[in-house]
Amino acid sequence: MFDLFSDPVKVANQMQIIYSEYGFAIWETLYSLALEAAFAYLIGLPLGVLLVTGEKGGVKPLPKPIMTVMNVVINLLRSVPFLILMIICLPLSKVIVGTKVGTIATIPPMVIAAFPLVARMVEGSLREVDQGVVEAAQSMGASPWQIVTKVMLPEALPSLISGCTITVATILGYGAMAGIIGGGGLGQIAINYGYYNFKFLVMWIAVIGLVVLVQIFQSLGTWLSVKCDKRLRNRK
Amino acid sequence: MEPIVELRGLSKTFGSGAEQVAALQDVSVQVEAGEIFGIIGLSGAGKSTLVRCINLLERPDAGKVLFHGEDLMAMPTRRLRQVRRKISMIFQSFNLLEQRTALDNICFPLELEGVPRAKAKTRARELLEIVGLPDKAGAYPVQLSGGQKQRIAIARALASNPEVLLCDEATSALDPQTTNSILNLLQTISRERKITVILITHQMSVIEQICNRVAILDSGVVAEIGEVERVFSNPQSAAGRRLVSPEVPLPLSAWEGPVARIAFNGNASEEPIIAEVAMEKGIKLSILGADTRNVDGKAFGTMLVSLPEDPARRQDVLDYLNHFDGVTAEVIQ
Repeated sequence: MFDLFSDPVKVANQMQIIYSEYGFAIWETLYSLALEAAFAYLIGLPLGVLLVTGEKGGVKPLPKPIMTVMNVVINLLRSVPFLILMIICLPLSKVIVGTKVGTIATIPPMVIAAFPLVARMVEGSLREVDQGVVEAAQSMGASPWQIVTKVMLPEALPSLISGCTITVATILGYGAMAGIIGGGGLGQIAINYGYYNFKFLVMWIAVIGLVVLVQIFQSLGTWLSVKCDKRLRNRK
Repeated sequence: MEPIVELRGLSKTFGSGAEQVAALQDVSVQVEAGEIFGIIGLSGAGKSTLVRCINLLERPDAGKVLFHGEDLMAMPTRRLRQVRRKISMIFQSFNLLEQRTALDNICFPLELEGVPRAKAKTRARELLEIVGLPDKAGAYPVQLSGGQKQRIAIARALASNPEVLLCDEATSALDPQTTNSILNLLQTISRERKITVILITHQMSVIEQICNRVAILDSGVVAEIGEVERVFSNPQSAAGRRLVSPEVPLPLSAWEGPVARIAFNGNASEEPIIAEVAMEKGIKLSILGADTRNVDGKAFGTMLVSLPEDPARRQDVLDYLNHFDGVTAEVIQ
């Protein structure tokens, strides 16, 4: 697996694959990532908010059974290994996007795997918001909706961005497993050409591509999180 | 006149079973419009719970919270939110939105009411002037000192044109000088804008400086309530006396003979009574311990002094001490 360059013919052959497929794979990785992250946040963000606001003593307490159900569902989805979850969810893909194979088919299972993570990330970020600030808003007559949109989310923004970065890196990681059911992208190249067909040079270059992507997103996320955090401004 | 805020028979218990703590027990207080009303007590006396009951940040288990005679507890949520805009609050930890500038913090309550942005900004700038920080509009809370943060918090509290301002240990995190300036600001605001101020504190000096009336809270019960001067100069309750003349512990083995406790309750102005005893009676007393404070030239506190062994001379000293206004002397050992 580490003897990558000994046979010039194989190397040329593998470089050919990389040359013809790499660009498209990156594109597929990025657009499925964008869709998956978007849908994961569409479900996970409100859920994370409800986990904080809905608890006893929160700004809008919900009935205990609802909270219990939410927590159980999230924990359940979080504890099923992604590979298994993906296989279980494939029939769902058929219903939602009309197919069980290909990049599109991997999006519903990815969203289902990622939204509970997002919900917990958001929950964690919102819990960091100073309870005193929430109380101050309450004392000014803010409604629960106003507290969420004008206090909790903006105050937690740097932390939410950090959480988003972690989510993106995790989804990129899941992408390799999605290659198994024909999901496109760098992960698929790594598994199909590299692992299944012993073209390890392809595998390594695909993996390096993923590593570089994660690095880029992580740096971007950290930079953004720091930049928008007004608590980090130096005193004048 | 109808009180602006009236608390009627408030009770609040935290926890359950063996860990149950009665934070408030049948507390009734009336606050008149325009006054600065102080609530003092040691930590754990329930004063924070009490002030938080006034805007229902804490819901009492029993009793009524009346604002202009209207019961807050019976209000629908929507109406309660409107009323809360008329009862502003400032906090010990300031509680500013850290991701917003000072100006946007002051705009916040206006934003909640749906005031247009431009109008809100103009109003916020006026308020910055009032609290003396016109140049801090663009500063974030992290760039401000504690006193400046509290000024911004006060400006924010004033934005909704409140009738009542609740202060929850608003100066406890500040140094004495800053405390002074914040208290002066509160006094000015109360006077000029006819705002009723209800402040809780554990510091007597805060009450003495700006309050008209004071309630002493002790273990969840109102021990005493009245004009500040009356309560502090002549406390009727045990809690009041403890507050005004704190117990001074007798130093161990310092003195074998008899000891007197002299309590100053504010009327003994600047008479050097120990020296008087020495000169008039020719008896030298040594001071074994003291905790006294000078407020507006009046002495408050407790002093422990040695007494002569001879019973007659001892009585003579006690009688002499007791003849001073505002001084009470008794033998404790």
